[in-house]
Amino acid sequence: MTATLRSLLRHETILAILLVIVLAALATQSDRFFTTANLLNQGRLMAEVGLVALAMTFVIVTGGIDLSVGSILGLTAILLGVFWHNLGMPLPVAMVLAVVAAGIGGLVNGVIITRFKVPPLIATLATLALYRGLAEGISQARSVRGYPDWFFVLGQGDVWGVPTQLWILGVLVIVAGVILGLTTFGRATYAAGANETGARFSGISVDRTKLLIYTASGLVAGLAGVIFVSRVSTTRSDMGTGLELDVITAVVLGGTSIFGGRGTIIGTVLGLILMQALKNGLALSGVKGDGTIVVIGLVLILAIVASNLFSREGDG
Amino acid sequence: MSASSPAAARAAPAMHPMKRVAAYGQEFILLGAIVALFVVVGVVNPRFFGANNITNIFAGNAYIAVAAIGMSLVIISGHIDVAVGSLIGVLATISGTLAVNGYPIWLAWLTPVVIGVVVNAGVGSLVAYLRIPSIVVTLGMLSILKGGLISVTAGAWITNLPEDYLIAQFRLFGIPSPVWFMVILTALVALWMRYSGFGRTIYAIGGNVEAARVAGIQVERSTVIVFAIHGAFAGIAAVLFATQLQVIQSTVPPNLELTVITASVVGGVSILGGTGTVIGSTLAAILFAAIASSLIFLNVSAYWLRAVQGLLILITVLADMARRRRLR
Amino acid sequence: MQPILALDGVSKSFAGIHALKNVSFDVRPGEVHALMGENGAGKSTLIKVMAGVHAPDSGDIRVNGEKVRFASPREARAAGIATVYQELLLFPELSVAENIFLGHAPRTTLNALDWTQMRNEARRLLDDLDSHELDVDARVGSLSVANRQRVEIAKALSQDARVLIMDEPTAALADADARRLMDVVRRLRDRGVAIVYVSHRMPEIFALATRVTVLRDGAYVGTHDIGDITEAELVSMMVGRPVDQLFPKVDAEIGAPVLELRQVSYRDEVEDVSFTLRAGEIVGIAGLIGSGRTELALTIFGITPATSGEIRLDGKPIAITSPKQARDLGIAYVPEDRGLQGLIKTQTIRENLSLALLDRISTATIVNRARESSLARELIKRFGIRARGPEQRVRQLSGGNQQKVVLAKWVATEPRVLIMDEPTRGIDVGAKAEIHALMSRLASQGLAVLMISSELPEVLGMSDRVLVMNNGRIVAEFDRALATPDSVGAAMMQTQDLAEVA
Repeated sequence: MTATLRSLLRHETILAILLVIVLAALATQSDRFFTTANLLNQGRLMAEVGLVALAMTFVIVTGGIDLSVGSILGLTAILLGVFWHNLGMPLPVAMVLAVVAAGIGGLVNGVIITRFKVPPLIATLATLALYRGLAEGISQARSVRGYPDWFFVLGQGDVWGVPTQLWILGVLVIVAGVILGLTTFGRATYAAGANETGARFSGISVDRTKLLIYTASGLVAGLAGVIFVSRVSTTRSDMGTGLELDVITAVVLGGTSIFGGRGTIIGTVLGLILMQALKNGLALSGVKGDGTIVVIGLVLILAIVASNLFSREGDG
Repeated sequence: MSASSPAAARAAPAMHPMKRVAAYGQEFILLGAIVALFVVVGVVNPRFFGANNITNIFAGNAYIAVAAIGMSLVIISGHIDVAVGSLIGVLATISGTLAVNGYPIWLAWLTPVVIGVVVNAGVGSLVAYLRIPSIVVTLGMLSILKGGLISVTAGAWITNLPEDYLIAQFRLFGIPSPVWFMVILTALVALWMRYSGFGRTIYAIGGNVEAARVAGIQVERSTVIVFAIHGAFAGIAAVLFATQLQVIQSTVPPNLELTVITASVVGGVSILGGTGTVIGSTLAAILFAAIASSLIFLNVSAYWLRAVQGLLILITVLADMARRRRLR
Repeated sequence: MQPILALDGVSKSFAGIHALKNVSFDVRPGEVHALMGENGAGKSTLIKVMAGVHAPDSGDIRVNGEKVRFASPREARAAGIATVYQELLLFPELSVAENIFLGHAPRTTLNALDWTQMRNEARRLLDDLDSHELDVDARVGSLSVANRQRVEIAKALSQDARVLIMDEPTAALADADARRLMDVVRRLRDRGVAIVYVSHRMPEIFALATRVTVLRDGAYVGTHDIGDITEAELVSMMVGRPVDQLFPKVDAEIGAPVLELRQVSYRDEVEDVSFTLRAGEIVGIAGLIGSGRTELALTIFGITPATSGEIRLDGKPIAITSPKQARDLGIAYVPEDRGLQGLIKTQTIRENLSLALLDRISTATIVNRARESSLARELIKRFGIRARGPEQRVRQLSGGNQQKVVLAKWVATEPRVLIMDEPTRGIDVGAKAEIHALMSRLASQGLAVLMISSELPEVLGMSDRVLVMNNGRIVAEFDRALATPDSVGAAMMQTQDLAEVA
């Protein structure tokens, strides 16, 4: 076995073991946890964060960050409502256009970052405000309801007994895993994150790679937005607020280095499941939603501390 | 020594006035923008100049300017804090709770400052000693503080605040105390940043960490101190915020961290660190408050405010990047 | 006169590798003591020991005859030893005056920074350095390299330095600026400052130095009064053997033109460059740092695409706008900065070797791992890379082996043109010879090689033809037979005169 694989597996093995322990603890603590219904429902709940986390893994591997994903999700939801309800477009067209708009939002991030060399942190902090502001300005705090029944298949329905969005997540997990792990694009992503100059001098189009990644980040945030609307049956401009926290936590927990150059999709998926299990477990033991946010924040900081100490050892 | 040569004996000429203007370019632009905004909005809708509105713009937003002072120090040193809004929410709630439960008023005023210092010194330590990017630490802190506050208080209102606790409603020479706080603290910190060794240290760290280290600056310790000072200003801002009205809602003021960061960045504090002044951030806080207020008087929906905020940050940052590229 | 700073039998090793072996060195007030040696000879380590950055493993440091031990650069500075590093350590956003006085600014009675005095003092220091036009209020980020250097020197002087260590101060300067800097050095010397001067430029050494000390492979070779030694003797002290023996250049059959440049320019950094590179030929580019050599390479490789002129490959005009395009056209570039530009150091040898040819070992963009591994193993063998295997991380390799990885990675792309920028910088003598042998073999297989080097012996020993660059232009061309240290050196001097006129 290769050294790279070994070191990666080490993190992911630790994570998997941790996950088993958490799941076992939850199962013994509450008999409602280990039921098919609960597990599938948890899968439904984590799909949106999961989708965005897949693209975020690429973003963070390049050494960047995208804080605007929550706002893009909110903006997509609002646009979906506006296109369909106010402009009278057929719903499928509205859905596609809303997701395209989200992709443009991501592309704008990418352009600001690659063309104008603005650090990703501040570029996406600005668009976090801008996109949320557009969502609020366009919606004027009005929500859109009354979607046709078929639309709810996406967020509330099942296909062969499994929530629809979990299928979508599953497919995209495989796609993202293949791209990052096996393709030349994945190699370019790692190289750009580990040493941008070195990558450029090796003939890799670093700017194009980043542009595609930020655009993809916008697109999946948009897709997550449509699923979100379908799941909760309404559009509101504050949808997806704070999403970036969950997403970044899942990715970092999954072993992706915040400094770039390191990370895997498998890790992100494990991080995501662990986080959702934690949330569910806390909820089942009576902790309210806001309490779980505290835990997520703690987990984020601890995960980074651990991975920093871990990677420093490995650097020697 | 060549001290006898006439050239060597000549003193540096006093700074040319134009150079002074250039050095404080951002401040002058902001001042111009504020004046222009007041004139234009005032002409369109004279009620903009109503005493209530002016008080609201200056006194009602002074706490943002105060928080932006600390934020500016953090950004100048090369870091960021996205948890400041949550911290202010928590500290305001603590302050109000102490006040209604019969603790001495001075304790209700002082405690938030002390806790702010302690909490942010912790954040600073994680950033400085464990080398965790400040965005990650503060993103985590944001949710810990916000989630913690809501789970403990459920967003309850704190009422029956004692009259002498409401420091933000005091007036001196007819001017509300928050304005005094804003002006005096801005002036003090501006002077301190320019004339103290530590003030220059902050610029040095943000400008070039390696050079700062070689110059013998204790980078880690200084970073922790900067975060601690930022915590103190968050504490003062929290007290001003808590005592504005007769009641306090124990939640995090929505969007506050972004407003504070906007003030600092738009005030000319470069997001890449190493440059900027607190005079600029205070002017930017006033400008932003004036924009918020003018939307109402121009019959524009306040729901567009945040989009304006995002655009402001984006434009300032792009201008800063363009300036840097020109200099290269 | 008693030395103000003396090192006696100093040794220092990093991770088991000796950087300095029993080196002695001293400098007296009012002298310029030149420190010479090839890259990797230990000059930088010696400087850092004197500056208090590294503590020696053994040996003594004496200041004015008293034994000292510096725990930090700060302590060395307090003892009157200031250093001007090659990578200037300044604060771009702060003013000139403030950069000079950061950390030791004059204070008023209230212990506040005294800006007036700071500006006046800065003015005085800069005037002392004959830099009357340099504005004390200017932001350092807006200054030229030469002016930044003056700020750095003023900073050293502001702390009453009695010993001033200068690490290749003229390396990044144009000639006029370099001459002004030399005037400053003379002035400081006459004032009684002891100066340790590191430079590769022979004329400078002979113009400035009182004594010269040579290091080689971390060991002390000798110290001479400048009047008692010739340039040739200095070179042989540095190289340690006759030049011919070092460079195993075999004659290759020179074929058709591969790369042709016609009046190629990039802004004002590369101006009107024309030359032809043929298959099997090694063309060396000599010139000082900042003469436009690397800039020319970056232009050919598409990092900084040409702003005018024509580049032809196999007789066909081409426009190169990105490194990717250059690579696909068969142009390879082994860059100057191995760690930053050449390698992804945190990745494995396998990943580094395949990075420039991923498209060729993938099917429908999926990288064929088996082919990648076998390619890596084959290259490791062919280039004699000493490593545990393809999965070892590149940062764990020695400098010479890292350089072989960069070379292997580019040769694997089967280029027509190979540009090598400082191919043997900072690697040990053994690895150097191996790289040279590889280069020679590649040329004999029909590759067109363009080699940039600061080491004149390397240029002379390896090249079929030598081009000399200065101020972005090619100013002289020599065939191998005519390229001697004297002729190329004279051409470089001549170009300096030209620059002076210009």
